[in-house]
Amino acid sequence: MENGSTLKKKWGFQPNPELNTASEITIRGVLEMLISNLNQSDVRHVIPLGHGDPSAFPCFRTTQIAEDAIVDAVRSAKFNGYSPTVGVLPARRAVAEYLSQRLPNKLSPDDVFLTVGCIQAIQTIITVLANSKANILLPRPGFPYYEAVAQSCHLEARHFDLLPDKDWEVDLDAVEALADENTVAMVIINPGNPCGNVFTYQHLQKVAETAKKLGILVISDEVYDHITFGKNPFVPMGVFGSFTPVVTLGSISKRWIVPGWRLGWLVINDPNGILKEHGIIECITGYLNISCDPPTFIQGAVSDILGKTQDDFFAKIVNLIKEDANTCYEGIKDIPGIICPSKPAGSMFVMVKLDLSAFEDIEDDLEFCVKLVKEESLIILPGVVVGLKNWIRITYAIEPSYLQDGIKRLKAFCERHSKKA
Amino acid sequence: MGTKEWKFRENRNLRTAATFSIKRVLDDVNRNLDRSDGRPIIPLSHGDPSSFSCFRTTQVAEDAVVDALRSAKFNGYAPKGGALQARRSIAEYLSRNLPYKLSPDDVYVTLGAKQAIEVVLSALSRPGANILLPRPGYPVYEAHAVLNHLEVRHFDLLQEKDWEVDLNGLETLVDDKTVAMVIINPGNPCGNVFTRDHLQKIAETARRMGILVIADEAYAHLTFGSNSYVSMGVFGNLAPVLTLGTLSKRWLVPGWRLGWIARSDPDGIFEEHGVVECIKRSLITNTEAATFIQAAVPQILENTTDDFFVQTINILQEDADMCYKWLKDIPCFTCLQKPQGSLFLMVKLDFSQLQGINDDMDFCSKLAKEESVLLLPGFVLGLKNWIRVTFAIEPSALEEGLARIKAFCMRHANKQ
Repeated sequence: MENGSTLKKKWGFQPNPELNTASEITIRGVLEMLISNLNQSDVRHVIPLGHGDPSAFPCFRTTQIAEDAIVDAVRSAKFNGYSPTVGVLPARRAVAEYLSQRLPNKLSPDDVFLTVGCIQAIQTIITVLANSKANILLPRPGFPYYEAVAQSCHLEARHFDLLPDKDWEVDLDAVEALADENTVAMVIINPGNPCGNVFTYQHLQKVAETAKKLGILVISDEVYDHITFGKNPFVPMGVFGSFTPVVTLGSISKRWIVPGWRLGWLVINDPNGILKEHGIIECITGYLNISCDPPTFIQGAVSDILGKTQDDFFAKIVNLIKEDANTCYEGIKDIPGIICPSKPAGSMFVMVKLDLSAFEDIEDDLEFCVKLVKEESLIILPGVVVGLKNWIRITYAIEPSYLQDGIKRLKAFCERHSKKA
Repeated sequence: MGTKEWKFRENRNLRTAATFSIKRVLDDVNRNLDRSDGRPIIPLSHGDPSSFSCFRTTQVAEDAVVDALRSAKFNGYAPKGGALQARRSIAEYLSRNLPYKLSPDDVYVTLGAKQAIEVVLSALSRPGANILLPRPGYPVYEAHAVLNHLEVRHFDLLQEKDWEVDLNGLETLVDDKTVAMVIINPGNPCGNVFTRDHLQKIAETARRMGILVIADEAYAHLTFGSNSYVSMGVFGNLAPVLTLGTLSKRWLVPGWRLGWIARSDPDGIFEEHGVVECIKRSLITNTEAATFIQAAVPQILENTTDDFFVQTINILQEDADMCYKWLKDIPCFTCLQKPQGSLFLMVKLDFSQLQGINDDMDFCSKLAKEESVLLLPGFVLGLKNWIRVTFAIEPSALEEGLARIKAFCMRHANKQ
């Protein structure tokens, strides 16, 4: 063994230059940075309005039925082994039945692929569609994980706007202008993260018509499905699956408030078999074959979780979030320097615009959020992370009294930094 | 309405990567099963003994997971890279077999060892790079190397030398674009266990060539022969090592999906060369292990008593001995070595002793059909016309399976 060698050893491995730029700014990365700016001597509670995870609050605890289902599965000792690639059949059947409740065409278990959270569902479909020269259309503002995965598999990302003056509807003219012969798909997130909007049936129909015209796949991220509390009901994109092929992504994370359980799905809404014809289904199976799966006992619990959860649990959660959304929206009306263009109607978030001209010493959204954390122990996500600079994304889905406190602190902060008249 | 032209196409590179899949080959073998055969299917094809009650995991592990879940404290997202408690306890656990202490920051929690492979290969890939993989090996490496555009180069494991790495052959493969070599110890699929000396030679070779070692130790501690398990990290001061591990095998819970990547690199070479940053970035684009399972890890690693481990090893030893004894007496199997560890052994088909069998896939397909016994054809592991036999099942089921294999081989024996 060389000891005390003065020659610097030459090692052949080096970092991947591409990976270094992928997801330079991610939600978690920015939140970690904000948390590092907390004032340790502030004795007040930290108020987390930055991420979509209310599970830490007792009022948002998941239903006992879900917990019991997992415990039963673990104790049975029948789910300690490997599962089939696509997921255990009872779970897939349960997801098919659950989603079919709102679809004109019944799904079969073969249309369902279980994934490790919606995150892996996204990773799967993006990887499957990646080819040199191909591009994908993503919403702006959006969910930056799509950009991160697209970049890591060399799929070019192009962005279309969501229109704040039209309840964040898709700018379909922009979609048509962006698409070319290499465009393979477009992504919509409904209910919307980060905007908190819920698309109407008519708008989804237009999205379907546009996708069909362009010959592209619609990927509908419905991880916040059923979390709606405004005038538009949730309509799954899959209702248009016989018109144009749709891939639906979802999970139990948000509706059951268990993002840490990592159980999601990728579902094919394509009764005409177009995706199968184009080798997409086989490719999805192939990817899942070589990738990791959700823990088998969690799969084993899915049937009970989906089948036995009572409506009153869902109603309780949605009502809590609705109350929160209202508190947030009404509260913001009284706060100088920030504007909320549309009342949140679903998901756990709302996008709020900063009127920087109203502030004395704040140059952009990042500075706003850093100062806010330092002065008020309040965490809000700067909009640049989701594609809209000088906006902020507020998560209102937390314990109501915490939210009220948070809105008060936000108001105090904005007043303190307002330009003196 | 004319034929619509849809613009989406499958990822061609992924299609190639997906051919490197044991599951896919086993699905093909399974299709030959005769459903009207009333006898139970004997699965000697994959490394998952958990369906047999003698291989049930320890109550400590079950309790740990249930406790974590019931606390309702672990339903949210865990930090990327893993919960601190999990990382700390894994670091302590691994340090027991190392001459230096790992810190929690040296450990990343993954969704089983499979995701550890995904994360590491994605972190190491860069344009034009190549990676050295063992033959025979574990095709998840080939799959993710291809998916990440890493050129694969194979070095041999030498059957006549207890499946040791062909170090001379290895050196001829290396160039300035080689990033790493992979070793699997205890060995899947060969059932060998490298000696300390051999691991040191591997480390010295890696150091000379300036490459890192990925040590897949999924089967750590599952040894029952004369060579005991030595962690490659012991030689981390010679060549930096990324050790991959998991609860799956030692605790018999492959379905729980809890694994790790550990940096055994006391000289901090990974940090210097940006590899640490790359692993962090790779973790960002990947999903993660369930939070409550991570929360159960300290209890599992610290409170499992030795008698559980001893019991497992005893059954494995009984199985390994039985398997070796039976296969030795079957003329069409050659190059048989007594397994020292893991759950598997490799055996070569001697076609001069068989008739009407074309290759390893044909052998396994016909065996499935005629005897409802499942074995893995070796081509998917890089050795065509070899077979991988999993001996780790309930001993009486194994005996039944071996008897049926013998009957099959006699039935197909070359009569001349």
